[in-house]
Amino acid sequence: MTDDPPPFLGSWGRVYAAVLIYLALLIAGFYVFTRVFEP
Amino acid sequence: MRALDWVVLAGTILSIVAYGLYRGRGSNTVNAYLLAGRTMPWYAMALSIMATQASAITFISTTAQGYADGIRFVQFYLGLPIAMVILAATVVPAFHRANVYTAYEYLEKRFDAKTRALVSAIFLIERGLADGVALCAPAIVLTVVLGWPSRFTIVVMGALVVAYTVVGGIKAVTWTEVQQMVIIFVGLAAALITAIWLLPRGVGLGDAVSLAGAVGKLKAIDLSFDWDNRYNLWSGLFGGTFLFLAYFGTDQSQVQRYLTGRSIAESRLSLLFNAVAKIPMQFLILVTGAMVFVFFIYERPPLLFDPVELKRIEADPAYRSLDQRYRGAFEERRRAAGDLVESRRSADSALHARGLAAYRDAQKQFDQARSDGVRLVEKATGTSFTDTNYIFLSFVTRYMPAGIVGLIIAVIFVAATSSTAAEVNSLATVSVIDIYKRHIRKSGSDRHYLWASRIASAFWGCYVVVFAEYALHRLGSLIEAVNMVGSFFYGGMLGVFVLAFAFPRVRGTAAFTGVLAGEAAIFYAHFATNISFLWYNALGCIVVVLTGLALS
Repeated sequence: MTDDPPPFLGSWGRVYAAVLIYLALLIAGFYVFTRVFEP
Repeated sequence: MRALDWVVLAGTILSIVAYGLYRGRGSNTVNAYLLAGRTMPWYAMALSIMATQASAITFISTTAQGYADGIRFVQFYLGLPIAMVILAATVVPAFHRANVYTAYEYLEKRFDAKTRALVSAIFLIERGLADGVALCAPAIVLTVVLGWPSRFTIVVMGALVVAYTVVGGIKAVTWTEVQQMVIIFVGLAAALITAIWLLPRGVGLGDAVSLAGAVGKLKAIDLSFDWDNRYNLWSGLFGGTFLFLAYFGTDQSQVQRYLTGRSIAESRLSLLFNAVAKIPMQFLILVTGAMVFVFFIYERPPLLFDPVELKRIEADPAYRSLDQRYRGAFEERRRAAGDLVESRRSADSALHARGLAAYRDAQKQFDQARSDGVRLVEKATGTSFTDTNYIFLSFVTRYMPAGIVGLIIAVIFVAATSSTAAEVNSLATVSVIDIYKRHIRKSGSDRHYLWASRIASAFWGCYVVVFAEYALHRLGSLIEAVNMVGSFFYGGMLGVFVLAFAFPRVRGTAAFTGVLAGEAAIFYAHFATNISFLWYNALGCIVVVLTGLALS
């Protein structure tokens, strides 16, 4: 079975990096959410 | 349940069975029946993976978690994107290139037949036990809240699963899971919107969020590290990564979803979709629970959400004074919440600080009264008690409009049937491919193994129903036992796959011995030490890897 490139971002390495950056942003967003709504 | 609710519920269930039977047409070879001929697009696999993981009790418990404990449970899922990236980069291409039906078939290609047989047997024991409880738990909640006979609920859910799983195989299971996830998304959105809409006039979304946040319900991230605190950033990132690697990488009920992909890229995308979508979904479910908490600030909830146990303690002499104290605490909290909302709108920070302190104090009094109610049940029954699993359905059935109630009950039903169908399908696959075809009848025709797969699906479907019936009156201890059983075996399974992928020099006997040593270490930890079962995964995995390396 061939290992096709992803439909976006050009390579799987970049897709994985994008997912991990997304996770970091999510954690940062949750942290801000916590700080804002926890008086 | 009103007439419209019944129409929505029956329509949803019938449409799922009909759609499953329609989509399962043409599953007349083993490859088509067990792997959908490897033709599945990424979005179908992605939603199927999500539906398999989202069992009914997860859905009921997560909203309750948001109500009782706030949204910090979302941290439990933070390891999932990391695990998905690791699996997409390593396991997915390896399984696809090996052209296997099951994860354990790969172990024979990599190690030997005995390692494959051992791990297959471990999976059948672990998954077989977990499935019965997965079907039994929502039946109990539906029985208590709606008064339905639990045996009837279990048999109906089991019959639905068997109907389309036996006939249509994995194609039917996957496409019905797509439909089921759409229903779950719609149900969740309806629940969240309705919970906010039901707030009293004058209490806006901003007020609701500040009332939930003021008593710690919106603490999404906890940076502190504490071994006793199950949900913090670090346990989510490290412990969660281990857990999700084991679940999505070694459990056939998940592996089989992405083995149906038409290419490596499609299978990778299905996992990465879950890496991106799962955490926001869990966040929204938890926030729904937090909004239900705010709703019950203004609408007095019962002292206990479990009506059976509430009736039991009403006969206790201490109940009358406790109920009076509880009603007083509720009124005090409602008044304090109103004052806090008012002070939030004023620019007076001192007034706001006083309002905040009064509201938090009122919440403590309210929690104390409820805890005393729980203790009355524990005194009467002699066992530990929690009513959190009844919170969300109590809210739904008492306060939601007609139609939405039917939709939410349908969500509970489809969540139970989707995860059970996928697991029955995977149990049948391992039984036929790893046990029957490998060790009992090696040279049957494709048609023979197709029928064997159908019979195995019917067998496991019936087994799940019978085990769920058995578990009905033993659920309290069984849920914990099944969680423990999972922890007993996932560590050993993860360890042998780590050896397979990361250490090329390790051979079959070393891996086989490693699994036995890992399992021995876990059982020793359970019977001879006080180590929490949450650490068994890591312990088992490390012992398997170290033993495998030492013997190579």
